[in-house]
Amino acid sequence: MPMLKLRHIKKYFAGVKALEDVNLEVTSGEIHALLGENGAGKSTLMKVISGAHLADEGEIIFENKPLLKTSPSISKSLGISIIYQEFSLVEDLSVAENIYLGKGSSMKWLNWNHINKSAEVLLHSLGFQINVRQKVAKLSIAEQQIVEIAKALSSDVKLLILDEPSAVLGTAELAKLFVLLRSLRDRGVAIIYISHHLDELLELTDRITVLKDGRSVETVFTKDISKDDLVTLMIGRSISQMYPQKRYTALDGKQIQINNLQTVMSVEPISLILNKGEILGIGGLVGAGRTEILDSLFGNYNNRAEIIIDNKKMVLRHPKGMIEGGWGMVPEDRKRLGGILPMSIKENISLTNLGKISNRWGFINLRKEKEIVLQLIQKLQIKIGSMDDPLASLSGGNQQKVILAKWLNVAPQVLLVDEPTRGVDVGARAEIYTIIQELADQGVYILMVSSDMDELMGLSDRIVIVRKGQLIGELQKSDFSEEIILRMALGAN
Amino acid sequence: MKEKLLKNNTLIIFLLLLIGSSLVSDSFLSGNNLQNLLRQVAPIGLVSIGMFLVILTGGIDLSVGSILAFIGVAFAILSYEVYFAAAIAIVLLLGIGIGAISGYLVAYQRMAPFIATLALMTIVRGAGFLASKGAPISVGEHSAAIMYLGTGSIFGIPVSALLFFGLFIAVFVLLKYHVVGRHIIAIGSNEEAVRLSGISVERTKCLVYIISGFLTALAALMVVGRTGVGSPNIGIGMELDAIAAVVIGGTSLAGGRGSVFFTLLGVFILGMIGNIMNLLDVTAYLQQLIKGIIIILAVLFQKRSI
Repeated sequence: MPMLKLRHIKKYFAGVKALEDVNLEVTSGEIHALLGENGAGKSTLMKVISGAHLADEGEIIFENKPLLKTSPSISKSLGISIIYQEFSLVEDLSVAENIYLGKGSSMKWLNWNHINKSAEVLLHSLGFQINVRQKVAKLSIAEQQIVEIAKALSSDVKLLILDEPSAVLGTAELAKLFVLLRSLRDRGVAIIYISHHLDELLELTDRITVLKDGRSVETVFTKDISKDDLVTLMIGRSISQMYPQKRYTALDGKQIQINNLQTVMSVEPISLILNKGEILGIGGLVGAGRTEILDSLFGNYNNRAEIIIDNKKMVLRHPKGMIEGGWGMVPEDRKRLGGILPMSIKENISLTNLGKISNRWGFINLRKEKEIVLQLIQKLQIKIGSMDDPLASLSGGNQQKVILAKWLNVAPQVLLVDEPTRGVDVGARAEIYTIIQELADQGVYILMVSSDMDELMGLSDRIVIVRKGQLIGELQKSDFSEEIILRMALGAN
Repeated sequence: MKEKLLKNNTLIIFLLLLIGSSLVSDSFLSGNNLQNLLRQVAPIGLVSIGMFLVILTGGIDLSVGSILAFIGVAFAILSYEVYFAAAIAIVLLLGIGIGAISGYLVAYQRMAPFIATLALMTIVRGAGFLASKGAPISVGEHSAAIMYLGTGSIFGIPVSALLFFGLFIAVFVLLKYHVVGRHIIAIGSNEEAVRLSGISVERTKCLVYIISGFLTALAALMVVGRTGVGSPNIGIGMELDAIAAVVIGGTSLAGGRGSVFFTLLGVFILGMIGNIMNLLDVTAYLQQLIKGIIIILAVLFQKRSI
């Protein structure tokens, strides 16, 4: 008997269909994957289930009772808990406070000892050790994710919905999450798991429902389906076409030498060599100090590093200085650091290049700006309505392309890329890979951090592995293997 | 743009007030009164434009009322000491200097704008009282030009209003066509992303406080020109009027979103409310009360449209 049953769900927004005909059955004690490209309707569907949106047509049946009225608080009281991609944590409160926020009577005095203790016990039972007195703002994104899950589990949950939980987790954290989810399943919790990562779905879930253009295409048993079949179901394209052809042959042997680089995480200084035309991948666990390396290189950390480009020395300075020196960075956190969401697509792309399209009094040549932006939009095949629409109106994949366009606009010599396809759907992913590969082919030095093993191995020409802030190994393309990388990252050689 | 105008209720509120005022009072649309209205709004308008830029970056400038008084006093004193052109130059530089201190504290010392400008508000107010020994100082004989700024008119339009409109257009152009304007808006939306795009956030933030200080000094000259005295008591609460005008104009106090045109309308909405109540002989105490209520209504009305 299914715990949750959706029948012929339809949802329109101002006449535009978001969900056309969705049927879904989730039984207790199963992990059910929801798969689909961005824009397929997954998020809308989740909001319908959680009561944030009202379905225009169709039936929602929960534990054999049709839900006539829905609202977030009704869903919550029924035991439906949802963890969105965007965290709902209060950054300035402690971990424990966040977990117990909104629980218990508001008229009672708070017993801090009790709250801290039970938060600790809860996190510990999930297999994680996080200081519960710490402010959430101080946690890594992965740790915040864990707190978010703990918060959901702190009340009685029958149906747990996770929206792209793995996007921010590294391999080790992910393994822990899987253990946790499996044990919840065995306790009879129904879990809906949304992810773009096919490997995860194949490993973790029991059944998979594929959504396409607001319709549920098919529900399959995970054990009966292959990765390629899933991709075909989703987009009608096979996975072997995901990664671009490699053409790397060290371009004229030019290199950048980085010596004596300090990061927030490093005990000893780090040295790195980038080859022209090569994509250098940085592998390692989340929190190992990968992002910190990019951060330091981009001038965000006081440094005495020495950078030698073509036998010329360059001083590491603040981001402004680095950009003037031909460096660019696509940060991990697209929404907070990468783009300016309320500003237009056009203004986001031209932000790095205003100096070049303005006269000496600082007045912007709007016609030239439009031209240049249009060129980049066409070149990167960014799907937009109008370039004057806010960046926030785009899907994750297209937002990321806008950020890439913003950096292509300054024709960088070196591009630092942090998790280039986080929260990006399969179709746009392949396109972003092609863009990055083309840049490398044109002689841009690329340094890329990725937690996605397929991506790291598929796109990199060489991989260095980071552990506890230090570089602990290096692999050439011919030696790439998931096992070796993982072993190094875990320090289990 | 057309769509934007129709959508935004600020314009509707403005028109309603305009029509309503001319209906309840015959003298509202008289040339004399309109001149009066323009003279009244010009100084607060300048201050509001400066405030608007500061708020766009996500900041606030509480020191403007004090600057207005201090600059007036300083000009009155200087008018006896130096040539009048030098006095003007000095007080404008003083305005810039005070703005630069606020800007330095906010941008480079990362002080909360509310705190930094609150401190400046107190300091500058005190300085005004000290310099004037607490009493208004009338301006020296040779300041006819400043009187012209306060009371003169060209083709029936007050000079102060012309200056105000001119600076309004300048700021409009700055925001639409200038790199600095782009930076100001971007910083208000996402400071960190702007910094990572290689833009000096500090310099831009500092600049908006300097502009605010400068515009306020200019407004002070208008006031002195109209009244003929530099008084340490004026401008108390003016920062709140300016903030109110900006907010009525639909600008987000969180920064990043707003239009200088609607700020202009906000200035006129507040100005008209005061003006019509004067014409109707509403007592000053009641005026304040009604003004507050209208601010609430205006902002509520606006929320509907967003």
